[in-house]
Amino acid sequence: MLRKRIIFTLLYDSGQFVLSRNFRLQKVGDLAWLNRNYNFSQIAFHIDELIVLDVSRGPRNLQGFCETLRTLSQGCFAPIAAGGGIRSVSEARRLLQSGADKVVVNSALFASQTLVNGMVEAFGQQCVVGSVDLKRSSTGHYVLHVENGSQAIDAPPAQALEPLSQGLVGEIYLNSMDRDGTGQGYDFEMLSALPPQWSTPIILAGGVGNSQHLMAGLQDHRVDAVATAHLFNFVGDGLAKARSNIVSSGLSLADWPALDSLALQGSGSVS
Amino acid sequence: MRVIVVDYGMGNLWSVVNALQYLGANARTSDNPAEIPDADALVLPGVGSFRSAMQALRERGLDDAIHEAVDIRGKKILGVCLGFQMLAQFGTEDGGERGLGYLPGAVEYFARASDPSLKLPHIGFNRVYFSSNAPLFRGLESGAYFYFVHSYRLLPGDMPGEVATATYGETFVSAYSRGNIFGAQFHPEKSQTNGLILLRNFLDS
Repeated sequence: MLRKRIIFTLLYDSGQFVLSRNFRLQKVGDLAWLNRNYNFSQIAFHIDELIVLDVSRGPRNLQGFCETLRTLSQGCFAPIAAGGGIRSVSEARRLLQSGADKVVVNSALFASQTLVNGMVEAFGQQCVVGSVDLKRSSTGHYVLHVENGSQAIDAPPAQALEPLSQGLVGEIYLNSMDRDGTGQGYDFEMLSALPPQWSTPIILAGGVGNSQHLMAGLQDHRVDAVATAHLFNFVGDGLAKARSNIVSSGLSLADWPALDSLALQGSGSVS
Repeated sequence: MRVIVVDYGMGNLWSVVNALQYLGANARTSDNPAEIPDADALVLPGVGSFRSAMQALRERGLDDAIHEAVDIRGKKILGVCLGFQMLAQFGTEDGGERGLGYLPGAVEYFARASDPSLKLPHIGFNRVYFSSNAPLFRGLESGAYFYFVHSYRLLPGDMPGEVATATYGETFVSAYSRGNIFGAQFHPEKSQTNGLILLRNFLDS
């Protein structure tokens, strides 16, 4: 039985991890902060997947982002998706060479089919995650946004997202700009804005404040994975606790033995 | 143990090297066919499409190098994900291509016949079922979770060797071993401690 995934998303801006609220960023701390407050090498064993997004509002430093990714990936034996501002297949390849297993693209989905097709050709469709940012307009309709939420796309989501429903990408990261960082829970109505006949796996994001919110997402039959990017709500062993809360309330998640019990490091045959 | 992760120019090789090094193996990547037969063990990773990956392997002369290492010198090989599929006779992706020929059968797109709403790719942790004497799974219980991401699969027809299965719409081959040939449709390097145990079993086998 395929289990749904719990994903932790790290947002990165110019060397710092940040908290996002309605796409406005607040700097929180660097890699050292993350290690102090999250004991990252342990926490990575309590999630099903990690997503690291470069949401830098100023000019991006791909080299610096790749070095951070490499450091994060060293103690992480779960899948990692990374992205943010990728403009060419060679930039995507640099992320893959720095520890990413999948590449997340947002603006290019609607601006450059050539880039997305090039990535699919080079790395396979399963390697590309389409990041979709939705915001409700004053009339209540959902509007697609790109470029860190700063630009609206005119076409309605059901039309603009049609290629994504037909296998252009391996999965989508569906994020609510209105709920982002609010802790009010997921916006499930967003799912109705997708094209009908949708058959691409969906990662739901935006709004998680506690483990009940994650659980609500896991219980929705349209959702394949749930994500949270809130650096403060799950600080310390918060992610481990959320996982065990969810399992104790009867939902099945994937499991594996604790790292400490195994003495795996350096244990393989070295003769 | 010197492990070479075969680099045919297409993938994320770092994750596999990272996990093997964590376990203590002397692992590195190589795209040099002359070096391949000298390794103690080979890992064939893979992303991309079956056809382009096999073509990339052949263009670099790596297919012959793998055959020399495995068939003549008896070195062990672990294929991972697409690398596992490439161990088979044939892959239908992108118009079809011959594989390395160690497993019978053709790798084909998941059949949606039984469930048209089946989402593809098959992504996430799924249960893997195996017999108690399967060498790759020593120390694990049948039904252990491993991380998959793929849209093509090999069906478990009549094949010799240890066949592990998983089910997503239909039951397919999730791992395989016979003699010095090992393969996993899932990503052991991305399957938390279960995957590290499997990789250690491969190194120790």
